[in-house]
Amino acid sequence: MDLIVQLLIDSVLLGGLYALMSIGLSLGFGVTRIINFAHGEFVMFGAYGAFWLLALYGVDPLLSLPLLVVAGYLAGWVLFKATIEKVLNAPHLNQILLTFGIALALEHVAVVLWTGDVRSASPAYAVATFVFGDVFVVQGRLIAFAVAVLLVAGLLCWLTWAENGRAVRAIAQNRDAATLMGIDPARMYALSFAINSGLGVASGAIVSFLFNITPFMGFPVLLKAIAVVILGGLGSIPGTVAGGFILAFAETAIAYYVPDGAGWTEGIAFALIVAILIVRPRGIAGQSLA
Amino acid sequence: MSVLLRLANIHAGYGQSVVLDGLSLEIRPSEVVCLLGANGAGKTTTTRVASGLLAPWDGEISFDGVSIRDVPAHRRVALGVCLAPEGRQVFPDLTVKDNLLLGSYTPHARAIRKRSLDEVYSLFPKLSERSRQKAGLMSGGEQQMLAIGRALMGHPRLLMLDEPSLGLGPKIVFDVFAAVAKTAESGISILIVEQNAEAALSVSHRGYVLGNGRIAAAGTSAELRGSALVQEAFLGKKTSRSGKAAGNGDGSLSTLS
Amino acid sequence: MNLSAASWVLAGAAATGVAAFGSPLAADINFRICGLVIVAVSWNLMAGAGLISLGHSAFWGLGAYVAILSANRLGIPLAWSLIPAMLCGAAIAAALALITGRLRGIYFAISTLAMSEGLRVVAVMLPAVTGGSTGLYLDTRLAAGNRLINLGAAGGAVAAALIAWALTRSRYHFALRAMRDNETAAQMLGIEPIRFRVGIMALCGAMASYAGGLGVWHNGYLDPGVAFDLQTTIDAQIAPILGGIYSLPGPAIGAVATVGLGELTRLLLGKYTGASLLVFGILLVVVILALPKGIYSIIRRDGPRRRVRAADPVGDGVRP
Repeated sequence: MDLIVQLLIDSVLLGGLYALMSIGLSLGFGVTRIINFAHGEFVMFGAYGAFWLLALYGVDPLLSLPLLVVAGYLAGWVLFKATIEKVLNAPHLNQILLTFGIALALEHVAVVLWTGDVRSASPAYAVATFVFGDVFVVQGRLIAFAVAVLLVAGLLCWLTWAENGRAVRAIAQNRDAATLMGIDPARMYALSFAINSGLGVASGAIVSFLFNITPFMGFPVLLKAIAVVILGGLGSIPGTVAGGFILAFAETAIAYYVPDGAGWTEGIAFALIVAILIVRPRGIAGQSLA
Repeated sequence: MSVLLRLANIHAGYGQSVVLDGLSLEIRPSEVVCLLGANGAGKTTTTRVASGLLAPWDGEISFDGVSIRDVPAHRRVALGVCLAPEGRQVFPDLTVKDNLLLGSYTPHARAIRKRSLDEVYSLFPKLSERSRQKAGLMSGGEQQMLAIGRALMGHPRLLMLDEPSLGLGPKIVFDVFAAVAKTAESGISILIVEQNAEAALSVSHRGYVLGNGRIAAAGTSAELRGSALVQEAFLGKKTSRSGKAAGNGDGSLSTLS
Repeated sequence: MNLSAASWVLAGAAATGVAAFGSPLAADINFRICGLVIVAVSWNLMAGAGLISLGHSAFWGLGAYVAILSANRLGIPLAWSLIPAMLCGAAIAAALALITGRLRGIYFAISTLAMSEGLRVVAVMLPAVTGGSTGLYLDTRLAAGNRLINLGAAGGAVAAALIAWALTRSRYHFALRAMRDNETAAQMLGIEPIRFRVGIMALCGAMASYAGGLGVWHNGYLDPGVAFDLQTTIDAQIAPILGGIYSLPGPAIGAVATVGLGELTRLLLGKYTGASLLVFGILLVVVILALPKGIYSIIRRDGPRRRVRAADPVGDGVRP
């Protein structure tokens, strides 16, 4: 019985993180119709950013978070204008390979700069644990969850009530009609991409005190984010949030109940993707597709 | 008399297909003008060129005497050119109110947003009732009203309506055009692009007929209503000439014998 | 025989000749080029049907594992072990085609990405079968001579080129082209996309698995990292794109350029880990933005030169 409670708590805490990790990708796709294969690399750079600021200057990841988010936002804007903007109307092949190439380059910039050694950033609160009865809650995960919830809620509020949030949703639904409202599509695309990278960096900063950091962590992150986005339905932000919790639950359950489960968790994203494509490609809340 | 919108010798189309072949028209302040055309005549191409969604191959577009040919579509809105596009094209997953708020995205429209919203709600009470409903779930007529209301939220000096009667029953068409007539009272110019000549002429001061990619006839509403060409092509009446005129499905008009 | 055909024959003869008689260094480079030609042709054919693979290492790695396991567990020698390798490659590729069914290209791309990662995880987590992370060594008693392996690669490259050429001459060519440009329209013409998807995927999967099988015989060692190496996936894409996507000579030209570039970066930047893949990543970006039609477009007479923009369709674009 206690195991189930533990399982649920761990799933929820992880789910919040996964939701944050995937929501930027979902927004970017919803607006530009391009899957940003470099998404995972922004998370990776966020993790490294938080790590180095902690290791070199003693800055707590939670404090460096806002700074990193802004940096990620700006970097995303620049990257978009320099490269991705040029393939907005190009065939899918160009778009896919471009972001894939960017991902590859970014990953190996990190390898060249920092080698493939594994790092971890652990401020004191990261490992402290609360105990409720027989249930353990790792403080770091709780804090990560809180930050994630804050950011995700912030994004949802922005999308619902802010002028540009509304504009971004409009562009995603009908680009021409949105243009007729006076909305500049190019700016909205750049904006959504920049938000994508900003939130990616934020998730990285949080991840930095939870998991190990390597230059190669971007790729599994990307895969999980894609699984979450497909599960929730391409183009649906609330669906993505739900998908995050579902993936977290699946991984946690497997880790608990299957022998050697922790090793298999990396493959769960893959299995989920295949399963969804077979059973219900449009995901939970996505648009119909063909 | 000053001219608000001028299209001069516009050549435009898609890929290899030429749709507009030397189109010229003008709209003056505070007047309602209709552009009549059969299916495929190039009505929507005209509004797309005027609004900036489509770049013409040749020709001049000016607004208030200043060329706007190189002004991108999203900036023309701020100048006062607002289009309610063909097929309504409301944002389906956003509420009616959100759609209207989006209409006043540009800074100058945003400043008077509250007042514009009140005006639109009094013009289209149905929208006020349904303000929290998702736009995609509304009927065709309600969506048309929303599209017009949304364009009005942009505080236009020129309002363009692309086939507002499309797919709507006669009663709704009447309501929509009554609202258009009311809007005209405030002094903004209106361009109505339509197949339904009857309805369009009933609210317009003057009009043009689009055929073969250019203007085939022009005149006051009364003149057009009385012309044989319009009567045969759009109003389905036989005249003393033998045979009828009909649209050929490719935008041209011809008389059949 | 015209210039184009002559250059093909020359290339094929050179590859075979070097494989049979060349020095160990030359033969090694030749092997890598030929192996890459096979993989690149396979990627190119799939792309030609609108199927973009972001995980080609999956097929390569699967072929490698099946080959080495056939050898070690069942004592099957080189040539025969490649057959189950190809069959498995074809099977998993066909399965992927069926799963993604009629979904848009992006779902296919994502699936290939997921599959290569999934197979890697499986390889790590089943040490009883695959030797896990420690890897497997090819049973030395079965080791085949280098000449034979190199000839297998050269022969494979020639065969791959011939298959690609034969496809362009066949009635499938238009079907596949139509699928790439507009799948809905293709269906209306009576072409069943599913059948073609499965067919082309099985063929290409088998090709890449063949290359993987040869690779493991050449290296004598395999582990999940080597089998499902990102470099394989990248090379599979860069070679055709660099050489000229959708074209016949593209993969071959690109394979030579890619191996050459790989050697160059190894010589110049070898001491910086990760520099080589960084260069390839940047190269991919630059090529997509500046030269989407590849080297081949520069070589051949393509009509009046105009500035190619990043938004242009790669390869020969859409022609009436």
